[in-house]
Amino acid sequence: MQQQQAPPKKKKKIKVPKVINGVETMVEVEVDDEGGPVWGPNGKHAILNHRLTRVDAPLKVSGAAEYTYDKNPPGLLYGRVVRSPYAHARVIRIDTSAAQRIAGVKAIVGATNEDVVEGSNRAADVAEKKDNMDLGSAKAPQKKERIVRFAGEPVVAVAAITPEIADDAVRAIKIEYEVLPHVVRAEDAIKEGAPKVYPDGNLEPKEKRGDAAKVEASFKEADVIFEAEYRTPILHHSCLETHGNLVDYRGGDSATVYASTQGTFTIPGDAAKELGLKESAVTAVVEHMGGGFGSKFGIGIEGKFACQLSKQAKAPVKLMLTRKDEFLLAGNRSGSWQKFKAGVTRDGKVIALLATQYQLGGLGDGSQAGQPYIYTVPNFYRERISIHTNEDASRAMRAPGHPQASFGIESLMDELSYKVGIDPVEFRKKNLKDEVYHRQLDRGAREIGWERRNKTPGGGSNPLKRGMGCAIGTWGGGGGPQCKVEVGIARDGSVSVAVGTQDLGTGTRTYTRAIVAEELGLQINDVVEHIGNSKLGAANASGGSTTTASLAPAVKDAAVNARLSIAEKLSPLLGGAKPEEISFSQGRVAGGGKTLTWKQACAALPSAGITAHGEWKSNLQSRGVHGVCFAEVEVDVETGHTRAIKMVHVQDIGLPLNRLAIESQINGGMIQSLGMALFEGRVMDAALGLQLNPGFGDYKIPGSFEIPELVPLIDDEDKREAVIGVGEPSIIPAVGAVVNAVFNACGVRVRELPITPDKILMGLSDRRTV
Amino acid sequence: MADEQDKKPLKKKSNHDPGRRRFLKGVGIAGAGAALVDHLTLSTDAKTESATADTGAKPVTRNVNIILDVNGQKRTVSVEPRTTLLNALRNNLDKPLTGPKLVCDMGTCGACTVLMDGKPVYSCLVLAVDAVGKKLTTVEGLGTPESMNSVQAAFVEHDALMCGFCTPGFVTTISAYLKKNPNPTLEEVREACKGNFCRCGTYPRVFEAALAAAKKS
Ligand code: FES
Ligand code: FES
Repeated sequence: MQQQQAPPKKKKKIKVPKVINGVETMVEVEVDDEGGPVWGPNGKHAILNHRLTRVDAPLKVSGAAEYTYDKNPPGLLYGRVVRSPYAHARVIRIDTSAAQRIAGVKAIVGATNEDVVEGSNRAADVAEKKDNMDLGSAKAPQKKERIVRFAGEPVVAVAAITPEIADDAVRAIKIEYEVLPHVVRAEDAIKEGAPKVYPDGNLEPKEKRGDAAKVEASFKEADVIFEAEYRTPILHHSCLETHGNLVDYRGGDSATVYASTQGTFTIPGDAAKELGLKESAVTAVVEHMGGGFGSKFGIGIEGKFACQLSKQAKAPVKLMLTRKDEFLLAGNRSGSWQKFKAGVTRDGKVIALLATQYQLGGLGDGSQAGQPYIYTVPNFYRERISIHTNEDASRAMRAPGHPQASFGIESLMDELSYKVGIDPVEFRKKNLKDEVYHRQLDRGAREIGWERRNKTPGGGSNPLKRGMGCAIGTWGGGGGPQCKVEVGIARDGSVSVAVGTQDLGTGTRTYTRAIVAEELGLQINDVVEHIGNSKLGAANASGGSTTTASLAPAVKDAAVNARLSIAEKLSPLLGGAKPEEISFSQGRVAGGGKTLTWKQACAALPSAGITAHGEWKSNLQSRGVHGVCFAEVEVDVETGHTRAIKMVHVQDIGLPLNRLAIESQINGGMIQSLGMALFEGRVMDAALGLQLNPGFGDYKIPGSFEIPELVPLIDDEDKREAVIGVGEPSIIPAVGAVVNAVFNACGVRVRELPITPDKILMGLSDRRTV
Repeated sequence: MADEQDKKPLKKKSNHDPGRRRFLKGVGIAGAGAALVDHLTLSTDAKTESATADTGAKPVTRNVNIILDVNGQKRTVSVEPRTTLLNALRNNLDKPLTGPKLVCDMGTCGACTVLMDGKPVYSCLVLAVDAVGKKLTTVEGLGTPESMNSVQAAFVEHDALMCGFCTPGFVTTISAYLKKNPNPTLEEVREACKGNFCRCGTYPRVFEAALAAAKKS
């Protein structure tokens, strides 16, 4: 690209999200403090902010898109892991001799104590983890110690020429354990003398905020004091493509890793370490990806195994977790247990709140947004505490910690509104400062027909009872400066845009093309995008809804630079028009009273064509979104069955790049949130320490019968001419909206999710006996 | 499951057996003929015994060559008697297919759906040897990116996919269903899709696409 001579740029410091394993923290960076390119008014785009079909859709609907799971190079071996059947145990002996004798088994490797499953590590243990254990034949001297801390923790991995033989090998490996005491329920884990999950115990304080004494004092001014506890179980991401990698390393000094990941650039470093190569010698490829929802960052223990197996066998090894592995060891959304004491005045102001928020993340910390979340409560005190159990470590899951927090506070607000007899929408407004929430509440209420709502919960004689509820969420969604984008224009008129980012199904490919097409006045299919490869320009991992706000500005910047660069070259042909004044639209380049077709214009370029680069520009993105959901449900008080009828989600988003994809994503958020409300939850056997529902037969995700009418609404009152990520917010409020609608329908307040029929029936019978 | 329901009301029993092991033993042996019994027994034994006893060094596999009629082509493929149709298509064909996906391997998700003599089946629950002599159609056989069938085109148009991993299963199920019921209601489309899961949450648009495709054809 043609470098423009410019005086040294003015800099400013801003805070941007940095996402580690899907969880955001804010860091300060220095960026250019200058105008730079702008998007222009949201209503003025030719391609952006329209309904764009996905550019990769034809490949996906015909089975031609190749996911990691579909890669199948010659000589491929299939990997499998052997999991611990115990929740807490010491590995005494591993005998792989029988497995080694099975024809077709090519490699067997064992986990060392450093190969812990992501997140299940503690500083206190690191010292004891330094040593590896030997493994292999029964005769190998048993020297070191290996402790497994959840049922499902991988201990050994195998690779064989077919998946069937790999399964045989798994069955032929004999592992002897000394079983240790375990604990898998939070209530048990906090008891005196409970088995210790970590050497320093099961409780880990995370945060204290506010003044407890002041809160206690202000309860005196409250007209109503109310206490309640709310719980949500551990949930599963349930990505349809399981976690896994295909590691192609046949010796030598380079390797390729096909990864089902949310972070193309999180792979090479991890793999290089395992393979003993330089990071630059490993290429990560992520062409298409079958869902992540926060669970797929880094190479993971399955990837480490795949590397070791490939290295040992000198052959490509594909190790995709089985569905059962996926449930047992691929992370989870932490459960929650929230205890509230709230004081409210008769006119509907919540003036005091005490909150104890337990995060139930198994070996991990779990997460929970701090209370009172989005509400303004003058006096509050909260404590957030992790309770550890012998379960796999929680990971980020779509809006980590927010649906739990929203469900808790939105249930509480709802209960309080009924206690003081104020309409739940009005009650919320009284405790919300931000006007955007007010506007979105009004819009949602209109859309669902809030005035039709049941005025007396559980009223009427029809056994099918309808009710409505609402709830609110918030998210960041800003970007950061990692992306490096390259736009190339050839003399034949072809245009490409390249960056190493990944498309999780969020539509990254589509808007990447669209931004370039719009800038150059072309159609979306005139541009080809190259993504999903770590040899292309750097890009951030897809966590915290930061992808779009990080990438789109860099794509725009590259496209603008490409446009200016062509314009400069064409200026002599266009009557010497100034580059900024040459227009690009509808496949034509015009200036100085002359017009060229795109082909004619490109033919005039130098033989190498044009290459332009782009970087993140902070003014092209923003952060901070709201989001309101309304739900209408029908509860059958004879069976206890709840059916969602209609859900409406109102979402602000700044500049919507692709309305069609955004609506789809909002639908998806509502559906997953509905799953949380009505169906999903890990079920553990406390005595055995085992998960009882590690499969889709028993862990219920929403299916075609459970889908209500869904109304995804983009809040165009948001006039910010800036891109904001919006993958996460739509999963936050729907769960609370459904729970509140159930109460409005039948008068049963379910404080522990999911709302299964037994809880409704139990609630109804309690109410009747009262 | 996605097959068999047609215009009949909801109650109709599905014909797939969720107990996979029983399926392998029962249907596998009955369908594959006597020559395969030994192999099946061998592998089943290895399964049940290896946890406790040292079964020795014997390979538990012996491959057989079969001919599968896939998307109109007869293709010879070497499989174990226990190899599922899904694995045979994805792993054993000399030019493997990528459309049918393995997601649960136990008949709960529908991502592996293929058509067997025009009827949708979960290919993870069918043994490859049982598919001999049947006409198999995968999503690749319904249309290509350049020439999509009406369901595929409607999926693109209505954004009925996000990550797309469930999509081949839905497309296959719906394509077969519209042949049987060219003019379905929304409720009938839901019913047709009840054997397919989507985690990204594309259902509303899958329904829209199915209804739109029905209108067009
Ligand atoms: S993989 Fe066959 S039904 Fe899920
Ligand atoms: S589109 Fe991702 S699972 Fe359906």
